[in-house]
This record gives sequence, C-alpha cells and structure tokens, in this order.
Amino acid sequence: MNILEVQNLKKYFATQKAVDDISLQIKQGSIFGLLGPNGAGKTTLIRMITGIFYPDSGNILLKGKNFDPENDAKYIGYMPEERGLYKKMKIGEQALYLAQLKGLSRSDAMHKIKEWFKRLEMDSWWNKKVEDLSKGMGQKLQFVITVLHEPDLIILDEPFSGLDPVNANLIKDEIYRLAQNGTTIIFSTHRMEQVEEICKHIILVNKGKKILDGTVDEVKNNFKENLFGIQLETMPENMDAPSFELINTHHKELIVRIKEGYKANDVLSYFINRGSSVVSFKEILPSLNEIFIKLVEGTPSARQFEKITA
Amino acid sequence: MNKIILIIKREYLTRVRKRTFIIGTILFPVLYIALIFGTNYIADKTRGDLKIAMIDNSGLFNEGVMSDINKKDSGNIIKLFTGNAERFKVSFDSLGYDGYIEIPANFTWQTGSDSLLINTKKSFGIGAANPIEKKVNRLWNSIKRDSLGIDSTKDKILSKTVQLRFHNEKNKNANERTATVIGYVCGFLMYLILLLYGSQVMMGVTEEKTSRIAEVVVSSVKPFQLMIGKIVGIGMVALTQFLIWVACIFLIYNISLKTGNSGGNVSGMVGAVQEAFTSVNIPLVVGCFIFYLLGGFFFYSSLYAAIGSAINEDMREAQSLSFPITMLVIFSIALMTPAISNPGSSVAVWSSIIPFSSPIVMMARIPFGVPTTVPWWQLGLSMAFLVAGFMFTTWFAARIYRTGILMYGKKPSWKEMMKWAFRK
Repeated sequence: MNILEVQNLKKYFATQKAVDDISLQIKQGSIFGLLGPNGAGKTTLIRMITGIFYPDSGNILLKGKNFDPENDAKYIGYMPEERGLYKKMKIGEQALYLAQLKGLSRSDAMHKIKEWFKRLEMDSWWNKKVEDLSKGMGQKLQFVITVLHEPDLIILDEPFSGLDPVNANLIKDEIYRLAQNGTTIIFSTHRMEQVEEICKHIILVNKGKKILDGTVDEVKNNFKENLFGIQLETMPENMDAPSFELINTHHKELIVRIKEGYKANDVLSYFINRGSSVVSFKEILPSLNEIFIKLVEGTPSARQFEKITA
Repeated sequence: MNKIILIIKREYLTRVRKRTFIIGTILFPVLYIALIFGTNYIADKTRGDLKIAMIDNSGLFNEGVMSDINKKDSGNIIKLFTGNAERFKVSFDSLGYDGYIEIPANFTWQTGSDSLLINTKKSFGIGAANPIEKKVNRLWNSIKRDSLGIDSTKDKILSKTVQLRFHNEKNKNANERTATVIGYVCGFLMYLILLLYGSQVMMGVTEEKTSRIAEVVVSSVKPFQLMIGKIVGIGMVALTQFLIWVACIFLIYNISLKTGNSGGNVSGMVGAVQEAFTSVNIPLVVGCFIFYLLGGFFFYSSLYAAIGSAINEDMREAQSLSFPITMLVIFSIALMTPAISNPGSSVAVWSSIIPFSSPIVMMARIPFGVPTTVPWWQLGLSMAFLVAGFMFTTWFAARIYRTGILMYGKKPSWKEMMKWAFRK
C-alpha cells in the first residue's frame, strides 16, 4: 500500500520553477531517500507534502485520500533542515506544547514524552532550556519532538548534520526501529553514503524535476558500466582477450570492463585457461555518489533566476 | 480552534510568568509618576537664579520696597546700586552680579519706559528675563500707586479679577479639568500600550522566524492560527497589566477612604480621586478603554506581525519597515492635544471615528462625557469602524505573514509585501 502518492505536483515562484511536475509513490514502512543538490526543490516539495505550502497544481494523496493539511497534520512528523525550537522555553514544556499542537491530548503527550526521554537518556533535561543544550543535544530533542506523536509518515531533512557518530547511530537505530513498526520515513539529504546505507528506494531531484526514481539496487544496476574487479595470485604477463578490456591495475587486482556480448564467465574462463588462479571476482557497481555527480554535473550548480509566466 | 487556544495559552503564560512582566507592572506606574514629578523637579532646580543690579538715574526706585519684594521671591534678586557706576559697569561680574539694568533719567512714574536692557556678559535663555521683568514692573507699580495715592485696601479692590469656567448644563457633574487630566492619561496610556505591546508582537514573530520554530509549528497549524494566537495572547497580557493597575487604584482608593484623612498628601489624592469618580463616569471609561485597547491593539499589532514576518535577524530592518506604522501612532497622539482642548471640534470627532487614530483620540474624549460631548452615534460608529478596521488589517497582515514567515534572505520592500498581500 502506498502511504503517500504525489501526482504531477507543481509550485512556481516568481523567479523559479521550484517544483516542476513531480510524481512519486512511497510504500508504507519503507525508508525513502529524497536526493538532490542544493536548491533542487527538495524543501519546497517537502513543504507541500507537510501542508506548509499549497501546490499550484497536482495532487497529494495521503493514505489513499486527498491530503487535508489541517486534519492530517497528526499523521506527519517533519524535522526541517534548519532546526527550530523556542530557545527560552523549558524543554519539557516545549515538547508538551508541540505535541499538543499535533493533536495529542495533554496526558497522552506527557506519557509519550516521558517514555522517549527515558529511552534516549534525556530525563534530566526536563527543566532545562533549549539554549542550555549543545548542538547535538538539540538535534536529539528535535528528533524526539518530530516522532513523538507517532506519525505514520516522518520527514527528516538532513537529520544527521552536526551529530557525532555515537548520536548519529542512536538516531539511525531509532529510524530502523520506527520503520520496522510500519512507519514510513522520507529522508532528504545530499549525503550519499547515508542514503546507500539506510534507504531502499530513492528519487533524485534536480532543477525542480525528478530525474531518477527506483530502488538503490535498480539505480546502481542501471548505471553500472560492466566493471569487474579480479584478484589473481600471479599477474599474467600480457592480457589480450576479446571478452574484456583492462581499465586499471591496482596491486594484484585488475579492474576490467566486459565488452558487449560477453559474460563474466568468459572473463573467468580466460584466466582459468591461462592457468592464473583467481582469488576473488566481483562486480563493481557505481556508488550513488558517482551517479549523483554524473547526473547533476553539467547543470549549473546554483539555479539561475528566470522569468516564469505560469 | 483548539490549537489557537493552545497557542494563546503559551504566548500568555510565557510572558506573564516572566520576571520582567511583574517588575514592569509594578515599576511602570512608579516610573511614570517619577517621570512627571522628576522633570518638574529638575526644571525647578536647574532654573538659573539671577542677581541683577539696578543703576537708577531717575531716582524713583527705593531700596525698602525692593528688599520687601526680594524677600517674597528670593530666587532672582534685584539690588539698587549706589556708587561709581562707570567702574561697576566694567567689573559687575567679578562682584557677583549677572547683569545690571540702567534706568534712564527720563523714566517717569507716568510713562516709564517701553523697554529696558539687562546688560550681561553671558547669553541667557528666552524665559530667563521673565522673573526680573515681573519684579521691575512690581516696583514700578508700587511707585505708581504711591504717586496716585492708592493705599493697600484700594489696591486689593483694584487687583481683584474674575475667573471663568465652563459649566455643562446637560451634565451637571462635568468638570473639564478632571476630564482633561483623565483624557490625557487615557490617551498616553493607550499610546504606550499600543507601541510597547505592538513591538512585542513584532519581535515575537521575528524570533519565531529566525529560530525556525515557525517551520515546525506551521507544519501542524495554519500560519493564520499561529499569528492570531500570538496577537491574542499578547493582547491578553496587555489587558492583564491594565486590569492590575485599575485594581490597584481601586484598592488604594478604598483603603485610603477607610483610614481617613491621616496625611495631607493622601487625603489630597483621595479628594482628587473622589472628584474624578463623581465628575467622570469611571466604569464607562474603563469599559471603553478595554474595548479600544483590544481593538487598537489588534489593529496595530497585526500590522506589526506582518512586518515581523518579513524581516530577518537585523533589527534595523524592523525599524525602517515599521516606521510608517509607528508614525500613525505618533500622529494619533499629535491629534489628541487639539481634541482634548476642544473635544467637540470636527478634527476631534473625525479622528476619533477613523480607525487608526480612534483608540487614542476617542479615549481622550470619552472622559468629557457620553452622550453629552461624545454622542452615542459617534461612539457606536467609532467602535464599528475599529472592528472593521482591525478585521481588514488582520486579513491583510495574514497574507503577508504566511509568505514572510518562511522567506529568508533579503528584506522585502513595502511594494513586494503589497504583492504578497494582494495576489490571489
């Protein structure tokens, strides 16, 4: 079941087509990566999904029904990239207030805050003010506030920026735990190694348009260049086979590209026939980082201002 | 609706619980009174006392009358000089005199002189000569009386004058002096509350924007709800403060009434308050004040909220954008003075009906009496216009607010903000 479906969403600003005809579907319980360079339109897209902006055209379906920002706010948890909390307000009160704004009753909110604070070892924070917290602690608090009301859909914009590895892992584990319990997570970032690690499904947005959509494996397979790494016990003297070309030699590992019409087995049998013993043989898939750079490169890094007549 | 109440509650409680609110509520009246008395006191103290010598060439002035007059008012002193006039004119400052007046020889008791000079070696302000002028004229008067043969009983008869006061036949209790004082107090209090709490709304909105909490909150509530919640919450704080002051006045009044005329100062104050209660319809004034306080506050603070949403961290941006709004408030206080001196004039009537100036000007007029000075239709029209006015400014501000609160970067111009407000 798709928890979120976005159909032909458009949002034009005075000088930019911030989101230009984007469609996507997100399955319930999945961890979904929303990727794109700075200024690609990610934040605008998220703001429409969270009901902060109205789209110019297009539909947003949440749980199969038309998204109604006023009543559906409780199903969504949003953690913006720029963290925001009242600096002078006590942490406990603040969490209580924000949870109640999401529609939780006071006693429910209190109960859940206590539970979360206990799990993440934040018990002693209750009467402190946000200005007393370090950046990483603030981040943790912001995460708790985002997920407190047990939303079905959680949108995290760069959740790990500014977190040390220990706390980043803590949050990561919470994300996995939530996903296992059926919560859907949209994860917006331009840090590719995190996406590769966490997300199943990704889309890549650039200049307001969707340029890539698929599972991480699919995407990698689509962009693979038939590269293989072969480690041999002894390096053969001269290699001249019809099945592959040599790209690079690194210590005892060869990087080869298999030519059109040949298979991995052809390469292996070539070496076996020549009597070199193969230690390892593996396919080299491009990293998401490489795909990202390849796709985005060549487009101006900063978006140009243009006159929009919509 | 539930969420608006949550927001109002937060805005209200965080402010009322602050130490600055409690201190401000107690300290403000004290400071206000101190300001009024303090400036009078300072003005009194810093008034330069002059010591002037008189070189009398006419021979009319006599030392005895002069010392009598100097005894009555010892601030500024005139002394008759006898001796070498030419030497004195050069060195009077080293003898402790600020200046000298030379009475010409042709000064007679009938014609006197049109004008005389105080010769000094320093510059003096425009009013500094007044007390000396009064003394010289008093001296001349005594010379005239002596020459005309008028004794002190005849003099008393001559110097009697009549005082004129207004008496409103429709409102027998009306007292224009008390009404003027209460009118001024109401107008200025309104002015201060509008400016102080208006800028609190502006800063509160800017704080939410720059700390990015707005983005978290508007993902659960509409921007309009957030804005209204803030305005109403802060409005309630202003109202609370006002009601505390009113309650304090009643309390002091009642206590001092019970303890009786113990001290001269206290009984004087009680007398003044008592007079205010009999000559002015206090419940009506307080009731109207609450209405105009809230109406005016909604009118202005929604505009301040719109500006707060448009600016970024830089407080200078706030100043330049809020200047036109602040000017409206200041213009209203400028209209208040003519309105109080003539509460029935057309300037007073219209400026108390037009929404932007009505909270201040109407509050200055109401103590003069409803419906005698302010007919019911004017009060009704003014209230209706104010409600319509703040509904319009709130609508207008909300449209700027919802765009501004999520817009970072360059400060928008008024023209751009108009575009935000009026696009579909």
